[in-house]
Amino acid sequence: MKHEQKHNPPMKYGMAIDLDKCTGCGACMVACMSENNVPFKKDESNKLDSITWIRVFKLTNGKAYPDTDICYLPRPCQHCEGHDGHSPCVSVCPATATDYSRETGIVSQIYTRCFGCRYCMAACPYHARYFNWWDPVWPEGMEKYLSPNVSPRMRGVVEKCSFCFHRYQQAKNEAYLNGESRVSEEAYQTACTQACPAGAIVFGDLNNPEHRVHQIVRPDTKNGNKSRNPRAFRLLERTGTNTKVYYLSSREWVRRAGDNYLAHEKTGQVSKPHH
Amino acid sequence: MKVDRRSFLSFVIGGAAGTALSPLPWKLMDDSSIWSQMWPWTPVPPDGEATYENSTCSLCPGGCGISVRKIDNRAVKIEGQPGHPVNDGGICILGLSGLQMLYGPTRIKAPMKRVGERGESKWQEISWDEATQILADKLTDIRNRGEAHTVAAISGSDSGTVPALLQRFLTAYGSPNFIRMPSGRDADELAVKTLFGEDGRTGYDVENADYILSFGSGLVDGWGSPVRMIAAASTWKDKNVTVVQVDPRLSNSAAKATRWLPINPGTEADLALGIAALIVANGAADSSAVSGFGVLKAELLAGYETGKVAQTTGIEAGAIVELAQGFARADRPLALCGRGKGQTATSLRETAAIYLLNALAGNINQDGGMWAIPEADYIQWPEVETDTIASAGLRQPRIDGAGAGKYANARYLLNRLSEGVNGSGPYPLQMLMVAGANPCHDLSDSAGFTGALAHIPFIVSFSSFQDETAAMADLLLPDHVYLERYEDVPVAAGLHQRVIGLSKPVVSPQFNTRHLGETLITTAKAMDAPMADAFPWDDYETCLEESLAEKWDALMEEGVWVETDIDPISDTIRVAGMNAPAIAAEGDESGFPLLLIPYDTLRISSRTVGDTPFMIKTVADTVIKGLDGFVEINPQTASDAGLKEGALATLTTPRGETRVRVHLFEGIKPGVIAMARGLGHTAYDDYLAGKGVNFNELIGPVEDPSCGHDVAWGIRAKLAKA
Amino acid sequence: MGTLDKNAKEVMDDDAAQAADSKDGAGGFIILFFIIGFAASMVLGWVIFPKLLYSEKQQPFNFNHAMHVEEVDEGCESCHFFRDDGSFSGVPKLAQCIDCHEEPMGESEDEAIFVEQYVAMEREVPWLVYSRQPDCVFFSHAAHIIGAEMDCVTCHGNIGESTESRPYEYNRITNYSRDIWGKNIAGFKKHSWDRMKMDDCAQCHKEAGLIHTSSVQTGRDACFVCHK
Repeated sequence: MKHEQKHNPPMKYGMAIDLDKCTGCGACMVACMSENNVPFKKDESNKLDSITWIRVFKLTNGKAYPDTDICYLPRPCQHCEGHDGHSPCVSVCPATATDYSRETGIVSQIYTRCFGCRYCMAACPYHARYFNWWDPVWPEGMEKYLSPNVSPRMRGVVEKCSFCFHRYQQAKNEAYLNGESRVSEEAYQTACTQACPAGAIVFGDLNNPEHRVHQIVRPDTKNGNKSRNPRAFRLLERTGTNTKVYYLSSREWVRRAGDNYLAHEKTGQVSKPHH
Repeated sequence: MKVDRRSFLSFVIGGAAGTALSPLPWKLMDDSSIWSQMWPWTPVPPDGEATYENSTCSLCPGGCGISVRKIDNRAVKIEGQPGHPVNDGGICILGLSGLQMLYGPTRIKAPMKRVGERGESKWQEISWDEATQILADKLTDIRNRGEAHTVAAISGSDSGTVPALLQRFLTAYGSPNFIRMPSGRDADELAVKTLFGEDGRTGYDVENADYILSFGSGLVDGWGSPVRMIAAASTWKDKNVTVVQVDPRLSNSAAKATRWLPINPGTEADLALGIAALIVANGAADSSAVSGFGVLKAELLAGYETGKVAQTTGIEAGAIVELAQGFARADRPLALCGRGKGQTATSLRETAAIYLLNALAGNINQDGGMWAIPEADYIQWPEVETDTIASAGLRQPRIDGAGAGKYANARYLLNRLSEGVNGSGPYPLQMLMVAGANPCHDLSDSAGFTGALAHIPFIVSFSSFQDETAAMADLLLPDHVYLERYEDVPVAAGLHQRVIGLSKPVVSPQFNTRHLGETLITTAKAMDAPMADAFPWDDYETCLEESLAEKWDALMEEGVWVETDIDPISDTIRVAGMNAPAIAAEGDESGFPLLLIPYDTLRISSRTVGDTPFMIKTVADTVIKGLDGFVEINPQTASDAGLKEGALATLTTPRGETRVRVHLFEGIKPGVIAMARGLGHTAYDDYLAGKGVNFNELIGPVEDPSCGHDVAWGIRAKLAKA
Repeated sequence: MGTLDKNAKEVMDDDAAQAADSKDGAGGFIILFFIIGFAASMVLGWVIFPKLLYSEKQQPFNFNHAMHVEEVDEGCESCHFFRDDGSFSGVPKLAQCIDCHEEPMGESEDEAIFVEQYVAMEREVPWLVYSRQPDCVFFSHAAHIIGAEMDCVTCHGNIGESTESRPYEYNRITNYSRDIWGKNIAGFKKHSWDRMKMDDCAQCHKEAGLIHTSSVQTGRDACFVCHK
């Protein structure tokens, strides 16, 4: 049995979402739902229990007419790294249902281990995790469009964005067949990235200088992965969640909306992480 | 031997020890945990071979190329087709939802005959043979009485082989009453004919413009070909393109623009003419592009002085001057017309005014400009040989009045059908067929239209879904869904090229449905000679292949045919419609102090197909909450009316009354309230029905005096705390 | 008082002696019942339980692997192959068998059933898959056959040499094949192909030195490597 494998340097899959390009069209939301067998109910207007792995939020600058401005912000799971893989949700899961992979940077969610305590939902600062209060019901016939690459969930488990990891799994299969040791940038893209008509989402390996997302974000690994791009910011950056989804905006008020700034605090000033 | 308590206990302990040392408890624990994780009702999607099949989406006029991922013979995901000339891999929220429509329970699964009262939706399933026979017999009956003209058909489109077959059907039959659903195309076609002198449409090279002046067009809200527009819009910032959005409301398009100019609703034409006046006054106009320039100049300067325009439109004079200067100085300025998704017509005055701006800017048929394109004419069928009955029928006036008298300039006036059938028309209608349209929900004054159907004894719907119009029908002959059929998809939608997409069956028909083209050919063949002769093809696929002729092989291979080398109609325009009165909203200000306008959003489908469960899930809880729909209102206006965020209110217009909740939004002009189009369905299923309010129940048509098109842009309203 | 006491003491002593006697005698019964209970539960757990737990189904018709392996050129791969996208074809679909079996090739009754009831009716054969794993499992054949250069037998046993399809024994509670837990009710295995639980995968990975430390929670492989 061959066990001599080329160990590739660890990858850190992340996103750069350009809020100047995002139009709030919602294609990413439905692409994700369609790709990942996300269930739906008759009444989805209670947004606290509506399951959308990626959700587009509408921000406003709070100014009165006619100086009002709005901005849309798609929020997938941020795949927080924290400090060496201690994402808030991973740190609290009593069932080891969620885990951080140092090899890919992705926070996984395994439904068969989850017993629905929802501690992870309490821990997640981004409300990126969703609970199946009810068994999913697919209206007659619609179960035909379910993809075999993603496990449908039963009630009582938490689900969240997985950066379409099943696509990585399939891409890896193809890579093996073609004798490639790595999955290329084009071979593994999330459904939301692929669908976005504005090309606002860029996905790839933040560690790989050849990947577009790295070139846009230019993370400073010696400074908590803060982006060197002046337009970039991360959500609640100061909590130290060390997320992998970077947002870009040329509007100061949008960048400022990314964290709970006090009036006197400067935008983007992130204190050094505590150890 | 004494079998007493001790022995029993030791038996039990022995049993316990043995059980613990046997696999039973451990295996049972493992099995129970597996059992509890795998309830039989949690689906396990079957695996299989993954393949991709390309086709063309036809859920909106945009014409995007799609790539459908299948597992064995099940379609599991719709994606945008990379490299496609229209959308290059991108896809919109509606396109992505196609599989919920294909596989969902709102499908009409077989031909149906109505039992019970109309509107009760009680059906009896019948065979296709029986259904076609019923239709053929009814038609023959009417025809033999010399009343062929009393049969009408409503169609979502009039281009492509299927609508052409429907038109041919009526022509051979002897009815002039082929009526297309109202849309921005009505205004565009009339403007092109009037201004450029020939039949055709406009196209816009938005990718290459450097100054875009949009008069309410939903640039990223679904105007034109939605994915193409969003893709173009995402490049504008980096290319320093100036985008000015003239809009009473901070739509997503306005938010993405460089500048938002909140205008008084309905005064876009005045603004356009005011800008034209300034451009002309500054000597910055391309006078060669407009015939009768001298007269035009005089009229503009006399009638559209900046101060006056400022007052009419509510936009500061200084801003109007900036606009005019910016537009004129830009290298490749472009003005766009058609509010929201462009599903309603703009008046000739407004359309002409905006096209005039393009002419004055010298961008007609230029890079980054507006193109005047003759219609694609690839369907070359032999002329229909009409018999006496048909000729007599075709000579009758149209039931909607289009093409004659004061409506001479209009081709289709569906907004006048209710009037036509309720007694004041030239004759009663005996049959109505509806294909690719849902007028009972989508037409302005939808309730009035639905009520008028009581005057039509026999209604046939070809809809694939149980929509509002199908609910009012007597006979259902369900068409395949687009993913199940071959069809040509000619794309207009603001493209400056001519594009024909090919829709291919990605899955075999899921139910007992039949291609509409097939139904028409079969029905015609079941009727007497003149009908059957006009349909010489064996089946629809033969018809399609013949019609596409030399393009067929390329289309089967590539899925799309693009013609870029087009001879535009003309580079110059003549002016028209300027002196027409402005279009006012119905209602008097004293009784109805507010202005209610509709808004379009990509998340809510407002034409033909209704939102799928996925799409409705993305709608915010400030648009729908439970079953309640919201109106957007400026906080100042709300406070004047004593309304707080989320409060229930009664919304009344001259046409209807309903209950709504209010959402306070700073991004809307005071005095103006806005409601999303596309909600308030009563048909479909519980995932959509009953949610929100149908805007079309609150508004009615306002006729453009030059042609009769419904050009209502809003209606006066009042809001009272409920 | 003295005599009464003495009598009482004697009685008590007697009782004690009797009790002691009977205890000694009854002790054997206690042990006996213990043994009976123990033996009964052992039999129940080791013999009766597996009989009750597993039910049996037959394949739709018999498939002779050995014969087919002789006829084809590439062994297992002729019918169980990688698709272009790297996924594994698994159990062959009708389309593949039809390449040869459009018409009956031999004279067996099983083939007759196949051609009449399945090929002619264009019906997929509902094969019962012994190695079917739960939906949460992602198993990559590519990683193992191409990446690790393993052979089919290691996990699937010598099925290629069988002339008959063995019955499909399945667990009544979980509905999975007996092959997953293994034939032995205690989970003891002799060959690598006797069991297919997660522990067996992990055991092999450990032996091959393949346990990575990417998982922050467990210090082993991250979950998404084998799950979905």
